[in-house]
Amino acid sequence: MAAQTSTAGDRLRSILRVADLGRFGMIILLIIVLMGVVALVGAKENRVEVILASFLATLFSVATPLTLGALSGIYCERAGVVNIAIEGMMLGSAFFGFIASIYLKQAGLSDQMSLWLGVAAAILTGALFALLHAVLSITFKVDQIISGTVINILAIGITGYLNRQLFFQGNVPHAPGVLPVIHIPFLADLPVFGKIFQQQPVAVAAVLLVAITHFVLFYTPWGLHTRAVGEHPKAADTVGINVYFVRYANVLIGGMIAGLGGAYFTLESVPSFEPLMTNGRGFISLAAMIFGNWSPFGAWAATLLFGAAQAMQINLQYYSTSIPEGLDFLKKSQIVGMIPYILTMFALTGIVGRTTPPVADGQPYEK
Amino acid sequence: MKKNLFTLLSALAIVSLALAACATPAPVAPTAMPAKAFRIGLVTDVGKVDDKSFNQSAWEGAQCGAKETGGTTKYIETTDPKDYDKNIAQFGDEGYDVIVTVGFALGEATIKNAAKYTKAKFIGVDQFQEKPTAGVGGLIFPEDQAGFQAGVVAAMMSKTGQIGAVLGTDVVPPVYRFGEGYRAGAVWAKKDTKVNIIYHNDVGFDKTFTDPEWGKTTALSMMDKGADVIFGAGGKTGNGALLGVAQSKKGFAIGVDTDQYLTVPEAKEVLLTSAMKLIVPGTCDLIKAVKAGSFKDGNVVGKVGLAPFHDTESKVTAETKAKLDEAQKGLAAGTLKTNVAPVKPAK
Amino acid sequence: MSSSPESHSGSKLIQIWQAITRTVLIPVLAVFTALIINAIIIRVSGGDPILAYLGLWEGAFGSPKAISETLVWSTPYIFAGLSVALAFKGGLFNIGAEGQLSFGALISAWIGFALPKLLGTSLPWIIHLPLALFGGILAGALWGAIPGWLKARTGGHEVINTIMMNYIAVLLTSFLLNGPLKDPNPFNVIARTPEIAESARLTPLIEGFRVHWGIVIALLIAFAVWWFLWKTTLGFEIRTVGANPDAAKYAGINVSRIIVLTMSLAGGLAGMAGAVEVIALNYRQELGFSIGYGFDAIAIALLGRSHPLGVVLAAILFGAMRSGATRMQFLTQIPVDIISVVQALILLLVAAEEIVRFIYRIKAPKETVVLTRGWGG
Repeated sequence: MAAQTSTAGDRLRSILRVADLGRFGMIILLIIVLMGVVALVGAKENRVEVILASFLATLFSVATPLTLGALSGIYCERAGVVNIAIEGMMLGSAFFGFIASIYLKQAGLSDQMSLWLGVAAAILTGALFALLHAVLSITFKVDQIISGTVINILAIGITGYLNRQLFFQGNVPHAPGVLPVIHIPFLADLPVFGKIFQQQPVAVAAVLLVAITHFVLFYTPWGLHTRAVGEHPKAADTVGINVYFVRYANVLIGGMIAGLGGAYFTLESVPSFEPLMTNGRGFISLAAMIFGNWSPFGAWAATLLFGAAQAMQINLQYYSTSIPEGLDFLKKSQIVGMIPYILTMFALTGIVGRTTPPVADGQPYEK
Repeated sequence: MKKNLFTLLSALAIVSLALAACATPAPVAPTAMPAKAFRIGLVTDVGKVDDKSFNQSAWEGAQCGAKETGGTTKYIETTDPKDYDKNIAQFGDEGYDVIVTVGFALGEATIKNAAKYTKAKFIGVDQFQEKPTAGVGGLIFPEDQAGFQAGVVAAMMSKTGQIGAVLGTDVVPPVYRFGEGYRAGAVWAKKDTKVNIIYHNDVGFDKTFTDPEWGKTTALSMMDKGADVIFGAGGKTGNGALLGVAQSKKGFAIGVDTDQYLTVPEAKEVLLTSAMKLIVPGTCDLIKAVKAGSFKDGNVVGKVGLAPFHDTESKVTAETKAKLDEAQKGLAAGTLKTNVAPVKPAK
Repeated sequence: MSSSPESHSGSKLIQIWQAITRTVLIPVLAVFTALIINAIIIRVSGGDPILAYLGLWEGAFGSPKAISETLVWSTPYIFAGLSVALAFKGGLFNIGAEGQLSFGALISAWIGFALPKLLGTSLPWIIHLPLALFGGILAGALWGAIPGWLKARTGGHEVINTIMMNYIAVLLTSFLLNGPLKDPNPFNVIARTPEIAESARLTPLIEGFRVHWGIVIALLIAFAVWWFLWKTTLGFEIRTVGANPDAAKYAGINVSRIIVLTMSLAGGLAGMAGAVEVIALNYRQELGFSIGYGFDAIAIALLGRSHPLGVVLAAILFGAMRSGATRMQFLTQIPVDIISVVQALILLLVAAEEIVRFIYRIKAPKETVVLTRGWGG
């Protein structure tokens, strides 16, 4: 009996360890603190549940592209390929997904159809950028960070250049709109909080992908191979895992997920493309991935924290007249804007638990 | 084959180098056009001519001017403030007739170069002239008055008594004036209106106007808390706010700069009006004035106003229209003041 | 790369040839190939590549004024490129040059305009100018040292921390320039500091041109960095840590200390880029100044193979492209984004030199140079 409980306990503990729930919990606690600050300040002007619902809605919409970016990073890096090109991949896919949706609409397809195919095009773009990254860093063994930098600069240049050539001088594109809202049954009908469960497909997919990634990484042979390749490629090779194949495949999966993240910007959030519109969110995703210690749930929590910081920033400006005397720094949006970055730096010092990258992350594999 | 490729490329290299070497002095010559064409040059602020904001409006104004005067026009986009002088000089050295410089940040460079290139007339968009400088016309706009009228409409149309504004950054004086004018107008129309203004100050200066996603999220956050009219002013960030209102399908949005019924068609259904700052006709008219010889140094006050209601016309109450009329008459007569500081006070 | 004393002259010649191909031929061919590919992109999208390149050339080197402007652009590029290159040598990736540069510029400007008022007296230039310069350098060094220290103490990766420090620098600068440090002149509408005092300014190099003493300082510093890295013990230690931190540890080098030192030096170099822009060119700091130097600097360091001489050449190339872009756009009305495309292509071809070797059939040497080491280092 006693032995049984101990094994069950061990199992639970080991599950908890891979799920990184401690980290998840810590971050959620931080989010609650940020939310609490806003609720306290805003309580004079709005009902607390209204504030919280609004806060959460902002949080989730900010977190969506970050989550996808972080997951993209996780697939690549768990297989041992550093991906700092998430920013470029998202920007590029946001552009080409948008372009595809416009031209498909022009070609006579329905709005819905062009949008969905636009998403497919965005995913494909992500995959193509990822392929470039993979060829450079796996086959040519180019330094992975350099390869990522190349993609980032290239994406900025190409999207800026093409956007100008295509949509300037009265050539205003007629975008097919944005992806439809999905009402999650029951939850979406809740009073006040219901709207948090009225989400668009990419946002829903992001959350599902967190769970799927967790499952794939820790409970499937593919995940085992991926982690083996990322931790100890030599050993993986000797047991018959094709290191190059596993790396290529994971980088491509990562690129596709980043592509979906790109689709969020132009096909789900707003029906327009602007040069540089990803505004550094790819780098924040990268930070979230590390913050979350390369685990899907940890990274997700970290993106939620960034979402919370953004929500706090918006809400504190909204309630700026109610900010109590003596806390004037909360009125300075630049100062409040620093909070997520400072938090990240603190997190990296090991306060939330030390982060450890996959051992072979960043190293080209040579047979 | 392999060798051939190398030879071919080397040959190409030599040819292109030779070309570059020979042709260096050449391009200066062809600029001497047959007849004396009327030429207009435009230098943007750090930003692009397709920014859907003031740079683009000014560029459209320059094109309009070229068309009206039968001249030609070219632009140069500034990538760093240290190039202001160089970019202006590019047109000055070529002997352009009109040089349009866009944005308050180019004010000093414009005045400096006007002294150097005395043949050209300078149009400084958003550049207030302390004192008239020979050859410089500062095209300025009372954005606070446009914002004021938008505020009146917003306050009158709000059912909840709460309205919001999603703006670029108060570092940019015109944006600040739009926002504070809006606040003043709302409070003037209905004393108890609650006005919430959120600036996108939490990112770098180069990103504050290019973040529609943030604009949308922020607009939605405001609406969650009861605001039912949102003023979106700040390039693409502001456009994002309009789109946010459109997607929520409740409440109304107010656009900025141009009639955004035309530039953001996705927001047609909810767009009440736009606080217009007519840079295009303002710039165009000044260019025509140069051609006609009626150009004057010093400040030229451009037109501001509200765009038509379009699709929401039927929803706008008679009360609102009456109050707006009162405001417009008062502003025009000077009996009504917005009391907005031209620049955000330092403290 | 070192040749053993036994090797006879033949193999030594081969080694020298290989060294030349690696450091000179490949980058030159990469630039050339990138320009060709870019020309095709311009052509396909309806532009005139020949006119564009002529404009670029003319705008960059076509006249004494053009050369002066190119050097004005190259100056901060050299400093910032050296910053990234030095960090690479120490096995660190400094994405933070951007933030270090703007913080350095901010402090330099502050010393330039506020110090005389604070002391209530004007300062002789012999004191004020160096103070403004070194203030900027120290500020940059501090901004670099923080991620360095975090890395040495906690293992927090410098890539993330320098990116975070960039964001913090951007927000801090924006806050200060639009608030406490804003030029109080009632007619000032721009978020910028007042002008710095005359005593803190570097004069132009040649009367009538904007090129200033900064370029001379930059070249001297490039030489100093070379000398430091290859001729001093500390430089050797930095390179050893960069090449193999484990071996460095066994050799008795204090790796943590070297990491902090490397990042501080890198930050200082980037800070100097900002300081020189303030004291020699703009005479103040303005919001919007310094957009993307830090990222261009990465490309410059890579193109220059992290060698000071290479960095100088790459910085002049990038400076020429940025500066010549004005003329190019004037002639062709092509969006300036095309310059980013060229830069990315150059970087791509330099990084993946196998492609260049493949196109031009150049044999590859066995060894490879390690520039960065992912998160692991």
